[in-house]
Amino acid sequence: MLVLTRKEDESIMIGDNIEIKVLELRENQVKLGIEAPRSIPVHRKEVYLSIKNENEEAARMKSPSGEIPVFPSKKGEKKNGNNH
Amino acid sequence: MKLQTTRFGEIEVDENQVLTFVKPILGFQKYEKFILIPGPNESPLWWLQSVEDGALAFLLLEPHQVLPDYQVSFTPQDLHELRATSSEEISIYTLLVVPEDPSKIRTNLKAPIVVNIKTRLAKQMVLDRTDYPVQWFLAQPQHKQPTNRQEV
Repeated sequence: MLVLTRKEDESIMIGDNIEIKVLELRENQVKLGIEAPRSIPVHRKEVYLSIKNENEEAARMKSPSGEIPVFPSKKGEKKNGNNH
Repeated sequence: MKLQTTRFGEIEVDENQVLTFVKPILGFQKYEKFILIPGPNESPLWWLQSVEDGALAFLLLEPHQVLPDYQVSFTPQDLHELRATSSEEISIYTLLVVPEDPSKIRTNLKAPIVVNIKTRLAKQMVLDRTDYPVQWFLAQPQHKQPTNRQEV
């Protein structure tokens, strides 16, 4: 891992169009500003990992037609338990 | 074109129906072409079947069928990416996980799949600034509906 030391208001560039700037330093927290093309998703790592894991769980779904009893038919009445 | 799938056997795919993901489903960066297949029995479910890998499919829920207040706010940039002129053109789905234990059936409200049916462009959106959970359990009584309250 490349390690760089930066002060408040200093940046690093990744390639030509990604900039990561140290906006604010606090005792045990740092506030970063990230400028990147919108095509590059930027997420907090724990959010990214939890979504990635859940997507992987979702991709394990096997059955094409198995009954999923939680759901009413579109025309049916409201299901139990979920609304209150 | 014909597509071999593990769940549906061989299916005929109309190329005009293929969705292109402009931003990936996280963890599935390699896959950008999918089709929507209606789920069983008029349920608010859809299959999102990969066109590039017959073994890859996700089960999607129309979240408003179970959570009428679920809200996704689109930025102008979101609309631009999906080439939509208004948010009404965009359909919202959430990924469903159905484990053997029915009490663990859950959907991901944090990262919905949004689709512009007209332009066939789609993406997984991350609602970073809401408290919608990644795992929202459908079978358990929910005392409090999740909201898209902004984080401080």
